[in-house]
Amino acid sequence: MKLTWITSLFSVCVAVAAGAAELPDLNGRTVIAVTENAYTPLNFVDAKTGQGIGWEYDAFNEIARRLNMKVDWQLSSWDTMIQAVKDGQFDVGMDGITITEERASQVDFSAPYMVSEQFMLVRANETKFDDAKSFAANPDLLVGSQPGTTNFYVAVYDILDGDETNPRIKLFETFGAAVQALKSGDVDVTLMDATSARGYMGANPGAFKLVGGPLGTEQFGFILTPGSDLTAPINAAIESMKADGTMEALNQKWFFDYKQTN
Amino acid sequence: MTMKFKDKLQQAPWWLLVAFLLALILGWNILADQSYELIFNALSKGIWMTLKVTFIAFLSAVSLGLVIALAGFSSIRLIREVVRFYVEIIRGIPVLVLLFYVAFVVAPALVDGYNWLLQKPIELGWLDSARTRDFNMVWRAVFALTISYSAFIAEIFRAGIQEIDKGQIEAAQSLGLKDRYVFRFIIFPQAVRKVLPPLGNDFVAMIKDSALVSVLGVQDITQLGKVYSSSTFKFFETYNVVAFLYLILTISLSLMVRGLERHLRRFERH
Repeated sequence: MKLTWITSLFSVCVAVAAGAAELPDLNGRTVIAVTENAYTPLNFVDAKTGQGIGWEYDAFNEIARRLNMKVDWQLSSWDTMIQAVKDGQFDVGMDGITITEERASQVDFSAPYMVSEQFMLVRANETKFDDAKSFAANPDLLVGSQPGTTNFYVAVYDILDGDETNPRIKLFETFGAAVQALKSGDVDVTLMDATSARGYMGANPGAFKLVGGPLGTEQFGFILTPGSDLTAPINAAIESMKADGTMEALNQKWFFDYKQTN
Repeated sequence: MTMKFKDKLQQAPWWLLVAFLLALILGWNILADQSYELIFNALSKGIWMTLKVTFIAFLSAVSLGLVIALAGFSSIRLIREVVRFYVEIIRGIPVLVLLFYVAFVVAPALVDGYNWLLQKPIELGWLDSARTRDFNMVWRAVFALTISYSAFIAEIFRAGIQEIDKGQIEAAQSLGLKDRYVFRFIIFPQAVRKVLPPLGNDFVAMIKDSALVSVLGVQDITQLGKVYSSSTFKFFETYNVVAFLYLILTISLSLMVRGLERHLRRFERH
């Protein structure tokens, strides 16, 4: 997509950071981090303890440990989170936020810490299509999505015709509402990453299945206050965690080993 | 003469002048600033949807509310209890929650009911079975707003009707007027003037509450604002334009309602 200049910028930063063997020391500085607790398994509430847990919590706590900073975790909704990070009320925000050029003109992005792949979740008895191509070919079929999310962009650019106002996309407030619409037959497919899809299939036995292979990839980044002095150290820490296998271990822990008990 | 001028000066709607000036400033910003212009163009497509949803839902809510209010005066106890139940329950559920109930529970149930009722003609191929998606999200949103507001509007009508002096009704009845004429010529004309201000209030409230239909993906002003701001991260700028558009709608419509009230008051004096 239109990410080339951002990615090349990132690779320069990353190369510089990798050259420096030692990570910066932030001397115990407190960093205010914010997320929403509404994106399993990146950030969500542990049903047993009521505490926020997930991939992003673990990853950022590890970044903080490596850079010698303290994390003050806060919660916020999507739109207030981004505006508040932009205004400097929070230092860093994370919610599986896809890096785009347009968004990068409003906030700073860290280096990508995750590549997301989307899958097609459909009703278990779906027979009218079995991949993105056969879905796109039938104008009667509808996709349920949320404005501004990864799955929205994948639906627009990787499945349909690149028109963001395509009437075949029905927008809903939350993943849950879109899945509800899928269940009740209002839409024919919703896109989501494999883990969330497994969660919904587990919660509704026999109602859904996945079809087709993984679709267009998006890169997730932490968002930071424009001009933040934290961007470079965080990027260095991300690079070191990619290099020593920490990221892989987190993926294994949250995407494969973790079982959500409802 | 001077007194009259002073009076007029004092009664002049100064708040409106200030609001108008603010609108001019914001309007100028929208024209002059390229990014505001883009937002405005993206969002103004939702004005028609906001108006459509509000007008249809409000008219249906007024009709339904009037029927409910009249049923509340029924001499049959069961009907009165059912009305009380409906009003108390609906009034107590947030509009947002009602929207989800109607969209995802009531609407699919209605579609299933339709298919079940018309089982035979569908099997014979005379009719197509209905699919839930044929019950458009826009209409589900309108339906939910109608139900929600009908409870409040029924209460407005109830209060308006109850305020009318019992003696008038008894006098009309003793003149031998049939009940439906008593309602049409004695109660209704007076009640209308009483209920108009609170109804106008509810209308403005509904324009604002119609923003909630965006959770069902109805492409109104708010929904288009959400889509725009989450793809560009320009939340503040976008919600400025959202507020501007709603203010234009609410202020101009409440001025119209006020004009109607004034007209009816004049009518009352004659």
